[in-house]
Amino acid sequence: MITTILTTIAIVGGMAGFLALLLVVAEMFFANYGEVIIDINGKRKLKVKGGSSLLSTLNENKIYLASACGGRGSCGFCKCKVRSGGGPLLPTEKPFLSPDEIKDNVRLSCQVKVKEDIAIIIPEEIFNVRQFAGVVSKIEDHTYDIKELTIQLTQPTEINFKAGQYVQLQSPRYGKIKQKVSRAYSISSSPDHTDYIQLIIRRVPDGICTTWVHDFLKEGDEVSFTGPFGDFFIQDTRADMLFVAGGSGKAPIKAMLEYLDARNSTRRMGYFFGARSRKDLYLDDLFATWEKSMRNFAYYPVLSQPTEQCEWDGRCGYVMPYFDEFIQDVNNTEAYLCGSPGMIAAVVKYLVSKGIPKEKIYFDSFA
Amino acid sequence: MKETPQEKRIHENMKAGVMCAKGFLGSDTRHFHEIIETDAAHLQTLGYTREEVADRMQALTNAAFEAFMGSITLEEHLIVEYTSFRGKLTCPFAHPGGFRKGSVTLQNTRNNITLCWTPLNIHMIREHGFFEGHGSEHRLDPDILIKALFN
Amino acid sequence: MEINAFIIFIASIFTSNILLTNFLGMCSFLSVSKEVESSVGLGLAVVFVMTLTTALNYVVYHMVLVPLNIVYLQYIIFIIVIAAFVQLTEMMLERFSPVLYYSLGIFLPLITVNCAILGVSLFMIIRNYSFLQSIAFGAGGGLGWLLAILALAGIRQKVRYKFVPKGLQGAGLSMIITGIMAMAFIGFSGIVVIQ
Repeated sequence: MITTILTTIAIVGGMAGFLALLLVVAEMFFANYGEVIIDINGKRKLKVKGGSSLLSTLNENKIYLASACGGRGSCGFCKCKVRSGGGPLLPTEKPFLSPDEIKDNVRLSCQVKVKEDIAIIIPEEIFNVRQFAGVVSKIEDHTYDIKELTIQLTQPTEINFKAGQYVQLQSPRYGKIKQKVSRAYSISSSPDHTDYIQLIIRRVPDGICTTWVHDFLKEGDEVSFTGPFGDFFIQDTRADMLFVAGGSGKAPIKAMLEYLDARNSTRRMGYFFGARSRKDLYLDDLFATWEKSMRNFAYYPVLSQPTEQCEWDGRCGYVMPYFDEFIQDVNNTEAYLCGSPGMIAAVVKYLVSKGIPKEKIYFDSFA
Repeated sequence: MKETPQEKRIHENMKAGVMCAKGFLGSDTRHFHEIIETDAAHLQTLGYTREEVADRMQALTNAAFEAFMGSITLEEHLIVEYTSFRGKLTCPFAHPGGFRKGSVTLQNTRNNITLCWTPLNIHMIREHGFFEGHGSEHRLDPDILIKALFN
Repeated sequence: MEINAFIIFIASIFTSNILLTNFLGMCSFLSVSKEVESSVGLGLAVVFVMTLTTALNYVVYHMVLVPLNIVYLQYIIFIIVIAAFVQLTEMMLERFSPVLYYSLGIFLPLITVNCAILGVSLFMIIRNYSFLQSIAFGAGGGLGWLLAILALAGIRQKVRYKFVPKGLQGAGLSMIITGIMAMAFIGFSGIVVIQ
């Protein structure tokens, strides 16, 4: 009897042990991709350990592609061109890629696993992207739902960016929120200040990061962000500049104007800011001082729905009809737009109908 | 009830702080299948289909989106406003792709009902019949929603 | 009596459907049958795993358990073999066919605990099938299971738009549907006998 029990235990144990061993060996064999080489733009070669996603492998090597979802394949920001070695296109990537991008071998780097030598192409600017740590030195309330943060950099202590670019701010675990998230916000301070950045952040109903900024963040708190990202900058020409923004879209325009003001720019500039009512207007004083310091700059606030209490006798309705006050020569005008996709679409349509070439309209859409 | 890995992931996505601060279930303790099934039955007694509701919400959303600055008045008694934010919303049911991050506010001046939804809500109603749990930020009770949309 | 393997194959799909006559594999059958798409995914994974584990367990039974005179351990050994096989398949899929991994991958771990898989292996022993018969039985059993879950998922998708009394919503109604389906499948019985 005892021997039967013992042999049973031995056989079951042996069998299970054998299969477990088989799995461990298989795991070592299948999941070990050894060292692989990532070829970047044909110029740089990275020797890395294979097996994880392209996005996280690059992150470990301090190359930060934009990503808002943290590699879960839901934001579609971390696109990059894979020239060879990325494996087949996965069903998880398809919805984020246009037919042209698929033809161009664009992939979502968070879904591509590094299993073999791989050659990728990423924009050169990405190499400037770093992870930054800083301390919130000031929080200003601009309107009932818009705050501006000033973040003093601590590690590294300097940032180089172009006016109009954005960073990804990381919110920590707080309250009931059990995970960190990253969200994109435009830098609103001039690139001349390399030791701090400012961000203009509007409250999003039920938003994870903005709720943290608006309700939990205090002056003196430590924060971290990655950046800079984006290709919305001032073109180095002599053309007239038409700026249009709404809501928190004011941020990159503020950075651009601050930059131009520091250089005593004499380019003709007009800034149309669309808001709903008086309580949505902010930083008016700052723009008024720039109107004085830059002789060719004019600020045009437009309210779409001023109420009685606003006591508003300025421009009302949509911003577009007022462009005529500024535009002189359509062939010598550039437009810089930042705001909602609805606004951008309408303004682009209007400007094109006025005769401004599409390629001279630069925009940063919230979509 | 046992959950498949897929359902577990959906459930995880719906919790507070994963995709939005307060989560999709709010203070509702029911399983999301139960919420969907209860609301589906309720919607049926009201005499509307998910598609009709979603189509109507989409039409109002599109009108407000194109107006982009402040609110617009439709059909004389509906005041709709669309606010845009940077980024994308993703579906907790792991539907690939993203939806515009924006919020639509609808005020029906006939019965004074005010509601707020996002483009994601329209998708969740159309594809999943999900109106969110009680106490969540964008819970759209079929009763109130129908009154606000069709009255 | 020696039954043709092909007859076993056909019979295990229709006349002795593992799910509708033996009521095995009910839990994943009920919980993953909400949408046609995912039910097909799970069904295909079951076909694959059932066919290969039946073959594998046949070999293990006749090469290991019978010679060592420990056939009473078949339950536990079969389960271990199935679990290890599923794990191994998952690993290989991830490495060699990421596309297939993404469509089937999430269902594979679910199958480890699917009693239909173990059931087929045990029936194969009880019914004294040959190796070829066992493979036909495994493949047919899997396809039968796929057919059943696909039918239920299709019906449940339709039912979603209909008014269902509160007490019957969810599992209650699914059980009734399954019962009616099982009765419908009795119509096939008597055509061939395989046990």
